[in-house]
Amino acid sequence: MTGVRCAPEDWVGTTRDAVARGYGFFEWLGAVDEIGRAGAPGDVLRVVLVLRDPASPGAPTLRLTTELPRDGPRLDSLGHVFAGARWHEREVAEMFGVVFVGGDPRRLLLGAEFEGTPMRKDEVLAARAATPWPGAKEPGETAASPSRRRMAPPGAPDPTVWGDRDPADSPAPAEEVAASAVGGRARRRRP
Amino acid sequence: MTAGPAGPGPGGTGAAETGAGHGSIRLVEERCTSCMVCARECPSWCITIDSHTEPVTDLPAGSRERTQNVLDRFEIDWSLCMYCGICVDECPFDALAWEPGHTDAAVSAVVLQHGIEELRGR
Repeated sequence: MTGVRCAPEDWVGTTRDAVARGYGFFEWLGAVDEIGRAGAPGDVLRVVLVLRDPASPGAPTLRLTTELPRDGPRLDSLGHVFAGARWHEREVAEMFGVVFVGGDPRRLLLGAEFEGTPMRKDEVLAARAATPWPGAKEPGETAASPSRRRMAPPGAPDPTVWGDRDPADSPAPAEEVAASAVGGRARRRRP
Repeated sequence: MTAGPAGPGPGGTGAAETGAGHGSIRLVEERCTSCMVCARECPSWCITIDSHTEPVTDLPAGSRERTQNVLDRFEIDWSLCMYCGICVDECPFDALAWEPGHTDAAVSAVVLQHGIEELRGR
């Protein structure tokens, strides 16, 4: 797969150029929340478009990406280039909170009453935070011989960041919530 | 759906030929080392494992003492399982395998918590 990164304002133009070069088949469009990931560009949503050249089906696909700020992301719709892209844009819009200018504003999967953007990494599954995780135990660990090693489940944030946070504190910033919910070896609690 | 020959592709499950029906998950108890990998990888948190350690008895004379994990409880809650098969893929010792037979319906969710005996296979 070859990749092309462009600025948000060049999104439609870059796509039209790719179509002119033969990449006329729309494969899919999606987004990734890059917050809290080590080595990531930072506080951005990455929108990804994958195109294919129908004349050479076995050839590598072309991947176009652009990065939008997480706060108020807006992008021009590709609906005039590929009519089918509107469907994918509706999903990205409701899951990540991206506004597609000139796109279809209706929701695709979520109910009208649903609030929030479920695929953003700072969106917490409250039920997960409140349920004991079966993977927390170590092999061979019993109540009689507890292990000192602690594992945390992916998707449930550190209680000191979200949940049991001191009410006097302001809510944790999105970056801290996302970074504390990656799972693996539990971090030592801050003193 | 029409009753055609069972086989891979539309209309058949492929279970008869390949033995790969995805009806439920079987535990091969003697292979399980209680390593917790399946319980940690399970996206629906439906696997519960209890284990303890015991000293290994049949060691050659003079060797250092060693312990091994002994499986006490292995439970899959079929009311939570979404049959994704990640546990089957992730198990480092092939102690979990797909089973063509489905889990029976039950009158309450508690009955769908199957332990070692039920998971050992039919």
